[in-house]
Amino acid sequence: MKILVADDSRVMRQIVIRTLRQAGHGGHDIVEAENGRQAVELVQTEAPDLVLSDWNMPEMNGIDALLTLRGAGNAVPFGFVTSEGSDEMRARAEQAGAAFLIAKPFTPEAFDEALTGVGLVAS
Amino acid sequence: MTVGAVETHLPGPKEVRDLLSGLLGREVELRTAPPLVVSRKRPASVGVYVDARLVVRAVIVCDLPLSAYAAAAIALLPLPTTEASLEAGGLDETLAENLHEVLNVAASMFNVPDAPHLKLHALHPAGLPLPGDVHGRTLTLGRREDLAVDVPGYGSGRLSVVLT
Repeated sequence: MKILVADDSRVMRQIVIRTLRQAGHGGHDIVEAENGRQAVELVQTEAPDLVLSDWNMPEMNGIDALLTLRGAGNAVPFGFVTSEGSDEMRARAEQAGAAFLIAKPFTPEAFDEALTGVGLVAS
Repeated sequence: MTVGAVETHLPGPKEVRDLLSGLLGREVELRTAPPLVVSRKRPASVGVYVDARLVVRAVIVCDLPLSAYAAAAIALLPLPTTEASLEAGGLDETLAENLHEVLNVAASMFNVPDAPHLKLHALHPAGLPLPGDVHGRTLTLGRREDLAVDVPGYGSGRLSVVLT
């Protein structure tokens, strides 16, 4: 499986990739994006099976990236990994077509639950 | 709806401990400490948090040791990488970038229901000149939380959450 990780923080991208491995979801092809605009471009050129995206990013934020993708008819499974964990943000994410929202700081268990919960990977 | 009357949430020690433990992947320990006074001899990093109208609502202050230890721990950098920073009296670029992410995620502590939504607006890393207005905010008395923090495997430092 190919997973696109979008976050403007290099260390957070490393942590997301490390946590995926700790959650038992290692061995996937990982593609990294530094902002929402780059994420949209990479979804179109790399065709990942899953996007894990931060919410607040320069150039284009995560929710606008998701809305852009859905507006273009792209249905790639898309989950947020963000420090914005309020009910309002969760509702906006769901309304825009996100599969899940993992709040930072997160645990490997939270990743496993989110990924298996939406049937993206086997438990 | 009342506007302007809502108060910024002051996170308690448990919220700080849970945030740091989760983010750094190790069980940090906290104890209350006297207010942290930033000076040229005692440099500190300061994260500035604003609301949706860009009004500064809070700052989080980390002394140089905690800045270096937290920044190293989040990326699993070996302890010796922090020594040069402590000796030089400031953070290198990598540690400053890592600390930015620690304090960026720390914004979530303020964002409880019925409180203004805050986000990290700027980070002034330890060792660089601290603007006078930001320094003034670190000295605010009243609604603040002053803590000594032990990051297992690295060392201890000081952290203050100050509502302005």
